Amino acid sequence: MKRYYFSTKNMCVGYDRRPLIKDIEITLQKGEILSLIGPNGAGKSTVIKSIAGQLKLLGGTVCLGEENLLAMKASDLAKKMSVLFTEKIRAELKTCRDVVATGRYPYTGWFGVLSEEDERIVDEVMGLIHITELSGQDFDKISDGQKQRVMLARAICQEPEILILDEPTSYLDIKYKLEFLSILQEMRIKKGLTVIMSLHELELAKIVSDKILCLKGEYVLRYGTPDEVFTSDFIEGLFDIREEDLNADEKLLAYIRQVGKL
Amino acid sequence: MRENRKYRYIAVFMLLGIGMGFFFALNVCIGSAGIALSDIGRTLAGQESSETVKRILWDIRMPRALAVLILGGALALAGYLLQTFFNNPIAGPFVLGISSGAKMAVALMMVFMMGRLVKVTSAAMILSAFAGAMLSMGFVLLLSHRINSMSMLVVSGVMIGYICSAVTELVVTFAEDADIVNLHNWSRGSFSGMTWENVRVIAVVVLATVIAVFLLSKPLGAYQLGDAYARNVGVNLRLLRVFIVIFSSILSACIVAFAGPISFVGIAVPHLVRRLMGTTEPIWMIPACFLGGSVFCLFCDLLARTMLAPTELSISTVTAIFGAPVVLWVIVKRKRT
Repeated sequence: MKRYYFSTKNMCVGYDRRPLIKDIEITLQKGEILSLIGPNGAGKSTVIKSIAGQLKLLGGTVCLGEENLLAMKASDLAKKMSVLFTEKIRAELKTCRDVVATGRYPYTGWFGVLSEEDERIVDEVMGLIHITELSGQDFDKISDGQKQRVMLARAICQEPEILILDEPTSYLDIKYKLEFLSILQEMRIKKGLTVIMSLHELELAKIVSDKILCLKGEYVLRYGTPDEVFTSDFIEGLFDIREEDLNADEKLLAYIRQVGKL
Repeated sequence: MRENRKYRYIAVFMLLGIGMGFFFALNVCIGSAGIALSDIGRTLAGQESSETVKRILWDIRMPRALAVLILGGALALAGYLLQTFFNNPIAGPFVLGISSGAKMAVALMMVFMMGRLVKVTSAAMILSAFAGAMLSMGFVLLLSHRINSMSMLVVSGVMIGYICSAVTELVVTFAEDADIVNLHNWSRGSFSGMTWENVRVIAVVVLATVIAVFLLSKPLGAYQLGDAYARNVGVNLRLLRVFIVIFSSILSACIVAFAGPISFVGIAVPHLVRRLMGTTEPIWMIPACFLGGSVFCLFCDLLARTMLAPTELSISTVTAIFGAPVVLWVIVKRKRT
């Protein structure tokens, strides 16, 4: 049997003991990028939260290497996995730099005082994400897009091996979307960072991912490489788009075909 | 930037420290019995002085001022903990009904003990107050699962407070005449009648709890970010919550057991201190809140004793005058942002 860096077996997720999606099987090598795609309400965030340990698994296992995530000590896991959720961080009276620095939590001592090394890493990561100029600004007063980048910096500051992102690009304009993807590529090459994220932008998912997980309602529609998943008619199937709904608008149809082909 | 912030913290700590020393001194020096400053200096220096002056200073004013200093700090810290816990800027031991729960338990215990002519000890007071505080806290926690709105939670807390106060009134009505005077004074909130024995117990319990809370400042800081992010950086949320509930209940219980319920300090002081400091970091806020609470209560107790001397105002009257506007200001300010 092949060894994987990250794997799930028979993973079953849902809320309040009610299973939403069953039998999720994911296998990733170190440094691979997995994108979750699917229509609204398909359970992308539920899967993301379950993998990140925020929701109790209703069945199956999630493993990092040989180790079951559930069996790992929280403080050890915090050094390996960091997250960016759609819910905003509460940051009353915190500057952006303060928010980024909270990523250093697992590495600081009993009182959480940042060392020189921690400060250096915070500055370095802020430079990497190009948010150095936001440093002293109040986190509550910047735009949603800026917040998303600050939170990404926070997650990277935690120096994870695996990064879990829930719709990390939702507020970013095209420039920052591309920048975000190039940062992921850079981290993957430099540090072997593995990424699991949910994305709404299919065209981005297609170019950046090594693996794609298509969710639809209560099951996994497809799992595989972008080439395996993105077939010509798959978008219509995944999102239940019927041609008659679009009033046979040629431009819209052409757009869908284009995304499918990309 | 970072340096500036440090200077600000140091300046605030110095300000609060000086304020504490200043009001402590005033509390010892001023009182219904006019004692000349020179006499006070001589007595405190341990030189010859009249027996009365000595008694007033050492047995009445000193223990009282010390108790106000420690309990005031405890009260502000309890408020800060509850605000952090519920992520609610107007949470505090008084508005959430925790003080009233403790009051009810203490009143029940006192009436029961006095009826049997058993001496009420400090330990019995604290334990029963703690039990009452935990009872109220339990109700608030149950409700907080079902109520998402911050203001409704506070309203429920106030209701719990009313229920507990009603029970207390009922108990007081049925108590023996002699007990009532005692109970009545205490249930309105007052620092009068502190003994050195009280102060010793208060100091040990409160200081131990404050140190324990301070040791939790790192996970508390992560908790402020929100559950998901706290969990992700490795905080054991369940354990931390248990600790916050227990520590804030101990602090609230200690205040109620010795001084009765005191309103508004728990909400107002953490806000004023946060404004001064410009941060919510627990590692700075915990000691600063404690100092701030001490200064505020020393100031209020001074007024309570001297404004209408020789009649003494209940401490809550004074804290409400200065604390309630702060709370209103907080509410109005939040609406705008």
